[in-house]
Amino acid sequence: MAESKLTPNPSGGQESVPPWRDIRIIGIFAQIAFVVLVIMGAMWLLGNVTDNLGRLGGFRCPDGTSSFSCGYNFLKVDSQFDISESVIDYDPSDTYGRALLVGLMNTIKVGVLGIIFATILGVLAGIARLSDNWLVSKATGWYIDLMRNTPLLLQLFFIYFGVILLFPPIRDAIQLGDLPVYLSQRGINMPGPVFLPSFATWLAFVVAGIILAFVIWILLGRREERVGKASNRAFWVVFGFFTVSIIGWFVASNSNKLDQSFMIAKSERILAFTDLADNMERRLGAANLNEIDLMVEEGELTSEEVDEAAYTLCVISESASEVNFTAELRRLNIPYTVNRSTRPDQATAKYAAGECEIYVADTVILTGERPLLEDPFAQAIVPTLERPVRISIPEIEGLNFVGGIKISPNFAALLIGLVLFTGAYIAEIVRAGIQSVSKGQSEAARALGLSESQRLRLVVLPQAMRVIIPPLTSQYLNLVKNSSLAIAVGYPDLFAVAFTTLNQSGQAIQVFLMVMAAYLTLSLSISALLNWYNKRIALVER
Amino acid sequence: MTVTLPATDYSKIISCHNVNKWYGDFHVLKGIDLEVSSGEVIVILGPSGSGKSTFIRCINRLEEHQEGDIIVDGITLSHDVRNIAEIRREVGMVFQQFNLFPHLTVMENVTLAPIHVRKWSREHAEEVAMKWLTRVGIPEQAQKYPGQLSGGQQQRVAIARTLAMEPKILLFDEPTSALDPEMIKEVLDVMRDLAHEGYTILAVTHEMGFARTVADRVIFMDGGVIVEENEPLPFFNDPQHERTKLFLSQILNH
Repeated sequence: MAESKLTPNPSGGQESVPPWRDIRIIGIFAQIAFVVLVIMGAMWLLGNVTDNLGRLGGFRCPDGTSSFSCGYNFLKVDSQFDISESVIDYDPSDTYGRALLVGLMNTIKVGVLGIIFATILGVLAGIARLSDNWLVSKATGWYIDLMRNTPLLLQLFFIYFGVILLFPPIRDAIQLGDLPVYLSQRGINMPGPVFLPSFATWLAFVVAGIILAFVIWILLGRREERVGKASNRAFWVVFGFFTVSIIGWFVASNSNKLDQSFMIAKSERILAFTDLADNMERRLGAANLNEIDLMVEEGELTSEEVDEAAYTLCVISESASEVNFTAELRRLNIPYTVNRSTRPDQATAKYAAGECEIYVADTVILTGERPLLEDPFAQAIVPTLERPVRISIPEIEGLNFVGGIKISPNFAALLIGLVLFTGAYIAEIVRAGIQSVSKGQSEAARALGLSESQRLRLVVLPQAMRVIIPPLTSQYLNLVKNSSLAIAVGYPDLFAVAFTTLNQSGQAIQVFLMVMAAYLTLSLSISALLNWYNKRIALVER
Repeated sequence: MTVTLPATDYSKIISCHNVNKWYGDFHVLKGIDLEVSSGEVIVILGPSGSGKSTFIRCINRLEEHQEGDIIVDGITLSHDVRNIAEIRREVGMVFQQFNLFPHLTVMENVTLAPIHVRKWSREHAEEVAMKWLTRVGIPEQAQKYPGQLSGGQQQRVAIARTLAMEPKILLFDEPTSALDPEMIKEVLDVMRDLAHEGYTILAVTHEMGFARTVADRVIFMDGGVIVEENEPLPFFNDPQHERTKLFLSQILNH
């Protein structure tokens, strides 16, 4: 028998194979069996969901029928719960739908920043791990081991309760050197950009500049091919981009009168913005405002006198006009004090009551404050120059910080935790990637005279990327999914908001389906992006 | 220890004095002395593990020697990174495994160091690269990637890459050992041309034909020492040492 199996069959050996041994038939049968199993599993799950929906009363329309879309009507209902921080405007009178959107945007915020910082940390730590320097390499090794061998939840709790919440209260906030960066129980306050209304105009110019740069790049490239001579492409691309952006900056600063902030002042002498400076010089008897500090030092002027002479401004707190106006005053070294109100009507009331001599408002608000313009005290309405972006610097005022940007302790804990944790894994991936590049590559680079940093940047890292990208993708996905631990440190991410929504509305299945869809979309987007990049850097083989 | 060179020694482009190297406890190089004149072609022979590769890799500091002096073109090889960088600019090296950069095209491979180390403009670097690629006979492959070339072509690109840096000295570390037999000739032809052009060459190779016809001097190393050195004719026809005789009989009579 055994011999007859091995005997070659010259006349169509294919036909004589029984079906249970034919590799093609086995393959088809295995596929059919798999599909049947999947369908059975799916039907069982679907049956469960339908049962539960019937019990919980989901997907029911007001007329008693049941449909998929009716299950999501609750999204239009007011949420009636507050969310501690949000990228977009939100308050409890907004809908569940908007609340979930706030959560999603918070997740994206921590995800994007987390990925950026974890990558930077991971690459640096991965390179440091391979350093010849014993201390650097060992210290990095300890960091990586500590992070990889303890649970993330524990680390988050430690950072939140054991580090950030132990920072001093606001009045004793720790300042980082002379920088305007403050650490306190309420989080981190630091300088940040404030985008004024004319930013949109400028942004349009920047986009135009990028498009122009692309066009120049392509056109010069074609010309190079035609003429056969290289031109200074990079220079013209950069030149084109910056020219358009800089022109846009000035256009946005000057032309957008509608968006500019205005002030109303009680002095007939103030007719233009620079008059504020002249007026102040007269008050202080100083020839030049830049010399105030010197005069105070030399005793010609007391600081009390300066405080006395300072303009008092009525402003709406954290408004673009406040940032814009005070920045201009600081630039001209004009002393001022600020009287902040949260609403325009409070500010105008204070101004009318004589609590301050200058009222600063956005044009839009001003038009709604007509009576103020007819105020007999209002002598001057001066448009101020508005830059598209201002840097706002935090200052302590009473029991809180004013200006700058604020990073909540919850967000800081989550971001730091995710970055440290994921960074450790990325470091190991980067290390493995670098080690996967053969020693010969480094030797060739050194023999050619490349410096150590050039060797790393031009030869080793580009090749290591091929090995790094696939596992890096799963670390990015892990970071985004792990961000759902936000609920542990009180950061309102998608999962936390969804959980509250679910508890209040009772729409468990709908909410979970939405959350799943959201995470799935985020994950697939990251994968798609990195797969595209990976394909682009793949090596060309024959 | 500093070595003061007599004035006549300025013609010596490489001087090695009592070079010693250890890998841990293992003494790889045991007091190598070697003087190389400008334009000289030296072939280093020896069984594997004799330290011949290690020795030429010490010359451009791919390996660090622990004792003795290596002076290349008047520059003493030391821990000073600037000295190392300067020596590497004068010394080109071709490897057994080619070590082309697989993520860069042939043209990018050849222009990488001229642009980033010599700070040439891209146009100039590409012009020079094209000249060298033409010299090694593969100008039409400039836009391909190393993975698309045959072994012999890759090794010729590696030679062009080294030459584009305009070195005075070329180190060949078994340049034909990883090649198929029919590709060895194309690489040896290029090396032969370079030898006739006045480059100073130190080659570790098992190509006896090359050693016989091209070398000015043949050096036989074993166990970390130079056992014998001579001009090719007397070296092959009348070896002095027993070890050399044994080696030659083993590789020539098979």
